[in-house]
Amino acid sequence: MIKSLILDLGRLRLTPLAVTQVREKGQLSRPHLRNPTWFLRKERKMRDNHVTSENKSFVQEIVQDKYGPPALIKGVATYDQSKREELVKTEKIESEPWTTASRRTGVIARKIGQYPLWLKNGERIRTTLLQIVDNHVVKYIPPELYKPAQVPSVAKLNSYGCLLVGAESCDPSTLTKEYCGLFKDSGLLPKKHLVRFLVSPNAAIPVGTPLNVTHFRVGDYVDVRGKTVDHGFQGVVKRHGFKGMPASHGVTKTHRRPGNIGGGGEKGRVWPGTKLPGHMGNRWRISKGLRIWRINTKYNVMWVSGSAIPGSTNGLVYIYDTILPLRKHKTAPPFPTMFDQTLEGPDDIWFDAVHNFKDETITFQPEE
Amino acid sequence: MMLAPSRLVTPSLLRQTVFTRVVTFSTKAAPKEKEQYSNKQTTNVAPTTYRFIYPEFLPDPKVEWRNPIREKLERLDMIDRRSQIDIPEFYVGSILAVTSSDPHAAGKVSRFVGICIQRERCGLRARFILRNVVDEQGVEVLYEMYDPTIQKIEVLRLEKRLDDHLLYLRDALPEYSTFDTNMEPEVMEDGAPVPVNDIQVRLRPRPWLERWERQNLKGVSNIDEYLTDKRRRTAKEHEKPWEKYDLMKQYRSTIPEEEQKEIYAEVYSQLHQMELQRKRNKRKRSFVKPTKLA
Repeated sequence: MIKSLILDLGRLRLTPLAVTQVREKGQLSRPHLRNPTWFLRKERKMRDNHVTSENKSFVQEIVQDKYGPPALIKGVATYDQSKREELVKTEKIESEPWTTASRRTGVIARKIGQYPLWLKNGERIRTTLLQIVDNHVVKYIPPELYKPAQVPSVAKLNSYGCLLVGAESCDPSTLTKEYCGLFKDSGLLPKKHLVRFLVSPNAAIPVGTPLNVTHFRVGDYVDVRGKTVDHGFQGVVKRHGFKGMPASHGVTKTHRRPGNIGGGGEKGRVWPGTKLPGHMGNRWRISKGLRIWRINTKYNVMWVSGSAIPGSTNGLVYIYDTILPLRKHKTAPPFPTMFDQTLEGPDDIWFDAVHNFKDETITFQPEE
Repeated sequence: MMLAPSRLVTPSLLRQTVFTRVVTFSTKAAPKEKEQYSNKQTTNVAPTTYRFIYPEFLPDPKVEWRNPIREKLERLDMIDRRSQIDIPEFYVGSILAVTSSDPHAAGKVSRFVGICIQRERCGLRARFILRNVVDEQGVEVLYEMYDPTIQKIEVLRLEKRLDDHLLYLRDALPEYSTFDTNMEPEVMEDGAPVPVNDIQVRLRPRPWLERWERQNLKGVSNIDEYLTDKRRRTAKEHEKPWEKYDLMKQYRSTIPEEEQKEIYAEVYSQLHQMELQRKRNKRKRSFVKPTKLA
């Protein structure tokens, strides 16, 4: 018996291929998460590579000769890229009329502060100022080519193309080569921020087109998406607005604690969704249906209602046409965007119901 | 010496200049020396008193909330509003009369006379509180300075008090905040310094709205009368005598002088024009043509 066992073992060792059985698919069934093609390393490691200051300034000169000199455009420090057309020829896209099913691009803005405006009936409204910071269209991917690995939760995604918009031009020598390569075909200087917007194919915009505040009209409604202020790990009083417990009258050690978090018996466990301490803020949030009360074309600023736009002052936000069904566009907006750069008239465009500070004092007529 | 690979430094040039500094050339003409020193001097400089007369033109000193473009737009709006209504110089302790449109008042206009007990906030959010006693009942109205429903702001008596706010008038005897509604404006000479009224008010007995004994008030005479030993002791414990030496605290809560100058230089010409216009109007008002009788 022992002999046969030894033989068996010997045979086992001699088999040329030992196949271990795999019952699970293992790692293969994990979703294959590829990042979008424009998610590249942006910052370059800055090394002191002994370039003399003269050489450095010469490199700057070459960049400026090719792309344009630095300039202050609409209150934002950027580069004057009026010569872009000479660098790259972009094909014109036939403009199609706007329909209610069209989906326009959004823009990248900075939240620059908040102050009140008054309506003509004397009512005070709180507004937030959003400045559109040097936006240009970088790339358009048509619907048939746009196959994102991480599918956004948008209905009928396969009918939308992807428009890549960049904000705030910067010095290419501070960025990596592969990131700068994204802008090669557009003739634009590299942008600090890149955002993709889903657009319907008839709302596609030629590469290199600047997006300004005139993309929107006063009285329209917008959705503003931003990352909320990071508060860190917070207790229930700050995070969920719990009342806490009294400061005195025999209360010990439970002044800001949540108290009871559930019953006993059959439901004797912590139910999912119970409000507990945890990380607060630093999340993407959208405030929807905000009205545009006023627009300043000189500084690309719009005043939208509300003083609780997600994000800190001087933080980035994205502005979209609203998706709320009752506040969507009723008439055709500038479609696909406002191409006309030279706008006549005053810098400020006010909504009808808003009091212009240049107007006379509001008075009410007594009833007869 | 290490040299960066540059297309301007040819090997032959490199050999020549290994131990000397490589001077590359520029294809452009040398930029002209900026004439900032000669030009900046001639810009109009606002008087230093402007920061007391127009304090709301200075932005909130909190760094996280500042943005130069927002502040500029806000100042433009303030100037636009000031071109419509004369917002005079006043301080905490001055007696004002504010006429405003009110949809609920009979005749749609209401006028309120009172003492300014607080002035706060900056920009378009600037506001002040007026207090008076009407029919033995203390009344306070909060006005926003740039509210377009305000029709007129008159200064009936221009003076300052000893404290930055007079909120303690709420706990003082009513005669200190009682003012005649039909008060005539007091005429002051041009360029005279604003007088400081060093009156000390008498408080009612406790309970008070705030712990006035902890606020180091100068305009109250009888605070000590109503204090118990315990309150006196706790007030002593809460004293912060070192705060006046806290330079960082002062720095964080104020706008630096250089920035103040920049801000007021921007709005000086418009504000100065408005001041001149106000003076002209005042002279017109003082001279009344005698009317012919019969």
